[in-house]
Amino acid sequence: MSAAVQHRLIERWLPALLGFGTLIVFLVAVEVLIRVGLINRYIVPLPTQIAAAFGRVVVDEDIVGRFRLTFIESFAAGAMITIIGVLVGMLLYRFPLWRRATETWVAALASAPTVLMYPLFLVIFGRSAWTIIMMGFVAGFPPVVLKTIEGLVTTRSVLVNVGRSLNLSSVQLFTKILFPAALPTIFTGVRLGLIFTLINVVGVEFLINFGGLGQLINDLAERYDLPGTYAAIFFVILVSILFFIAIEKAERWLRPAG
Amino acid sequence: MSQVASVGAQGSDGILVVDDIVKRFETAEGPLTAVDHVSLSVKPGEFLAVIGPSGCGKSTLFNIVGGLVDSYEGTVTVAGDRVRGPHPAIGMVFQEESTFPWRSVIDNVAFPLEITGMRKTERLERASHFISLVGLDGFERRYPAELSGGMRQRVSIARTLASEPKILLMDEPFAALDEQTRLLLGDKVLQIQQELQQTTLLITHNITEAVQLADRILVMTYRPGRVKRIVDIDLPRPRSSEIVSSEAFGHYVAQIWGDLREEASRGMRDEETRRKA
Amino acid sequence: MAETGRLSAAPSFNLRADPVLALRVAIIIAVLVLWQAVAASGLLYRDVVPSLFAIGGALVKLLTSPEYYRNLGVTAGEVGAALLIGGLSGLVVGLILGGSRLLARAYEPYLYYLGPTPKIIFFPIMIMWFGVGPGSKVAMGAISCFFPIALSAAAGMRQIEPILIRVGKSFRANTWQMVSKIYLPAMRHPIINGVRLGLGVAIIGTLLAETKLSNQGLGFLIIQAYSLFDMPRMYAMLIALFMIAIAANAVVGWVGNLDRVKAGAS
Repeated sequence: MSAAVQHRLIERWLPALLGFGTLIVFLVAVEVLIRVGLINRYIVPLPTQIAAAFGRVVVDEDIVGRFRLTFIESFAAGAMITIIGVLVGMLLYRFPLWRRATETWVAALASAPTVLMYPLFLVIFGRSAWTIIMMGFVAGFPPVVLKTIEGLVTTRSVLVNVGRSLNLSSVQLFTKILFPAALPTIFTGVRLGLIFTLINVVGVEFLINFGGLGQLINDLAERYDLPGTYAAIFFVILVSILFFIAIEKAERWLRPAG
Repeated sequence: MSQVASVGAQGSDGILVVDDIVKRFETAEGPLTAVDHVSLSVKPGEFLAVIGPSGCGKSTLFNIVGGLVDSYEGTVTVAGDRVRGPHPAIGMVFQEESTFPWRSVIDNVAFPLEITGMRKTERLERASHFISLVGLDGFERRYPAELSGGMRQRVSIARTLASEPKILLMDEPFAALDEQTRLLLGDKVLQIQQELQQTTLLITHNITEAVQLADRILVMTYRPGRVKRIVDIDLPRPRSSEIVSSEAFGHYVAQIWGDLREEASRGMRDEETRRKA
Repeated sequence: MAETGRLSAAPSFNLRADPVLALRVAIIIAVLVLWQAVAASGLLYRDVVPSLFAIGGALVKLLTSPEYYRNLGVTAGEVGAALLIGGLSGLVVGLILGGSRLLARAYEPYLYYLGPTPKIIFFPIMIMWFGVGPGSKVAMGAISCFFPIALSAAAGMRQIEPILIRVGKSFRANTWQMVSKIYLPAMRHPIINGVRLGLGVAIIGTLLAETKLSNQGLGFLIIQAYSLFDMPRMYAMLIALFMIAIAANAVVGWVGNLDRVKAGAS
């Protein structure tokens, strides 16, 4: 029994330790290589400098305010893709002819480089949060629609037949059977949509030099604040990763068992 | 283990000699001895079948002889040469579907020749020879997805034969096929084996198949896998599947079933106890 | 629904017989008419919605100008180099992670979570490392396509049927033969799929970098049209870009399906 526990500990912690250890060794190696002069310190700042810059960036650059702005933009776009995306998906399911006419178009939109449309949105909405929100919407909308349709279409026909046999009205059939059955797939679509939305929100903030976290990187880079730029990039990456983990957990938590 | 002693004597004329193999596994329920002091010897040109119930360690034996398993006790030698890892003189035919789906039939069969670095024209010529040997002429350019399960297994056999092994080692090659296909394919294997004087070691759980094909049958016990008995099959050669209806055939089948029955029912009881737990 | 089965069995371009095609044509015509009406009236987004004729004219002008093809060549070269560098390194990393459970569990979470982060924010660093020229654009594309290709290759390698590996070993294939004749062909579909995803994000990474800072390439042309406020030209450029992206995607998909077509299987 204790051997099994020990075995599980090794299974669990050895890989995590190896991964994290490699990261530390890498950072130490970079530090040493810069100090002995093998890496130009005007291109790559010392990891210790970057770590020191972290605090400075958080305090001096109004991280809280920027974080809030990015969050509000992402939340607005996220709410839009969820509400509009699920509604459109439901409508396309309800009208199969429309679905068959437009589903491949939505799929094409999902794989097209739509983010390149940001100059166009810049013209329409100006350098404002709306440009960023709409770009976030464009990126996250297709997966929500596609997954909503998929969830509804792939509902097992036996479940629908159970509803029919109980003489449910078509509204009841939808709210009691189809929608709950499709919900796990819809959640997956919303999660994917939120990821694409966040990528575009932060990316466009950086590109058009407006708003929250993305702009921060642009700001620091234009000031030639090397450790600050690196620290801000690490910070944004960290925030994104925490966001991905959070929505992954949320999906698992919201998803009904089974 | 008086039985083992009586059959364990090593024929010095064996081209493939398996000597006193023991293989243990660590499982969740503790250590398990899969193969327990198994010895056997195959003479040149001989067809030996190893038969046993599920869980007697015969697939483990297959992998050991094929050199795909290490860390076991005992030795395997081919013409006096110790087997450590896959041996060039041994060709393996697996139970599972094992054709390469991305290669045409002829490229599948030519695979071992490609590995040894044979020139393209030469290896394609050799491959088509073995394709017609298994009766698949005309299918050279087809892909496995276009063939039936029996045809794909013939491709696997042709592929292994193309490497011209001294010893053909097969692990339930017909297990996934239906009974009629199995009998007909057995004919094909018999015909090829007799034509090439191919030394063959067949692992199987199918009694009819073993009696139809083999010169000798080695019966294994259920867990731990030991040698229970070796039966000489004195049926005339050349044989075909028609032999199945002969009286002698029925006699051998009954005799081997008598040996196996006890082992198989022990395995079944064991399985049931484990599922209850 | 029964009706549609009959129709899809015999595809036709008869609008009367194919309601899906009829609806598609109707939607397109409606959008174009609406667009043209808005453009002509000048009520809404006066400068943002140019007349269809202006866009068409700009598209013709764009596709007949040698300047466009010169910039297309620059971008194509950058994307190609990015795909080569990012794709090959992704493939190698994917093979290593796919081959070792320990390494996969140690390092794959990092790739998995770094994969979907916005790569464009690395651009300032790439400018410092590789300069303002094509080098930094290639780097952006390479970083972008590394992740999907590495992750698909690792997943693809874990999905290989173990029996095929045993066959290779039984015929005494050496390591290089195992990789080139068993692992890579057995992983062809996940790899092609990874390349398809990788190509998409490599195009995005490279072009976004061009819009941010460059003096050549399609991204530069788009941002130039923006700063000159030449809306018809910008629309023309976006239309051409989407067509190229869809075509590139289709080509990779077609290559990936070649062997299935040959095998006549699904």
